[in-house]
Amino acid sequence: MTVSFVLSYYLWVAPHLLLGTIVFAMVRHRLYRQFPMFFLYTAFEILQFVVLFAISRSHVHFGVSYVRAYSVGLALSTATRFGVIHELFRHFFKRYPTLDGVGRYLFRSATIFLLLAAVGVAISAPGRGASLLVNTTCAFDRTASVLQSGLLISLFLFSRYFALSWRSHAFGIALGLGIYASVSLATSSIWLHLGVFGNRALDLFTMATYHLCVLIWMFYLLRPERATSYVLNPPPKHDLDVWNNELQRLVQR
Amino acid sequence: MTTTIILVLISVLALASLLWLAKGRTVSANILQNPSEHLRAVDVEAFRNLVDPDEEEFLRTNLAPPEFRRIQRERLRAAVEYVSCAAQNAAILLRVADAGRRSSDPATAQAAEKLVDNAIRLRLYASLAIPRLYLGMILPGAHISPTRIAESYEQMTRLVVLLGCLQYPTRGISAAL
Repeated sequence: MTVSFVLSYYLWVAPHLLLGTIVFAMVRHRLYRQFPMFFLYTAFEILQFVVLFAISRSHVHFGVSYVRAYSVGLALSTATRFGVIHELFRHFFKRYPTLDGVGRYLFRSATIFLLLAAVGVAISAPGRGASLLVNTTCAFDRTASVLQSGLLISLFLFSRYFALSWRSHAFGIALGLGIYASVSLATSSIWLHLGVFGNRALDLFTMATYHLCVLIWMFYLLRPERATSYVLNPPPKHDLDVWNNELQRLVQR
Repeated sequence: MTTTIILVLISVLALASLLWLAKGRTVSANILQNPSEHLRAVDVEAFRNLVDPDEEEFLRTNLAPPEFRRIQRERLRAAVEYVSCAAQNAAILLRVADAGRRSSDPATAQAAEKLVDNAIRLRLYASLAIPRLYLGMILPGAHISPTRIAESYEQMTRLVVLLGCLQYPTRGISAAL
């Protein structure tokens, strides 16, 4: 048993055990009401892990059936992740009704733009793997990663420009997903270029990133929501005069 | 190979920008520790004067065309500064008001809600006004009057004062505006 073998098993099993903790915490704190898609995503990730782990331990090992199951799981997981991103957008703009229209416009425009970019990339670099399934899976993963990381960066940019504040739960979910999508974009591109399914170094890197993302989700979802507080020095007397003058003007309007 | 390298570089860039944007959240939280220190004074009347079409018309008729274009560019550059300052103040006040929205006092929460709404509007107007002002610098003859910024800023200032009276921690801010 080599170190890399033990490490790969640790990085495969541990994040899913931690996801179990997240599911438990979400049920306990009723966070599944606020983030139903994220709850579904974490539950699905655990289920997918159980199925894939069982297949890998059977006589099939990491053969064609495993790749098929992995591809189906990836497609469903990606679809759920899109649901989570949509949920984050909705959750965010619900807090700022003034920006609802602009937010919808941003979400649609960013999706169309990123979709066109991802399709352009898919056409220009279709991959050179012998297996159609591996090629399709990696190309799909790459396209989804372009869209997901782009959408999350748009959301972060938008919130930064308008100086909007995030609730820490939503922030943690978005940050974790964003990191994972960005790294996925690189790994799926390399996979597609190499044309082989599975590369030890790349697998370990992807799994370590996923582990980090799960830790980020845990950190933000398990700790209580922090209330923003600020302290100002007592105001000088003339401030009160300004207030009074301004209030008088307000009342007289 | 080239596409793969480009995509890997894009993903690194995406990751870096994501972390940078996420870090901005902490910086904003630090600003909240003492908002009045970060607010910059904005003279609404001076801004109004800079974007007043009558004033512009007066300068156009009384100055030689090259001189008018030069002066108009200077005026619009100053107007951009004013709008940027107002937008920056709006961003800080938005954070302050956001915290006030969670107040148990309904009057404070309502005033904070209005301030959030107003500050967002101001940032929206600013994002539309700044490119128009720059366009005005390129084409000094074009009519540009982003007076909604001034109105929105005044309305926001009044709300800050109201919120300041309702909620203890915002005191001191109104004087900085």
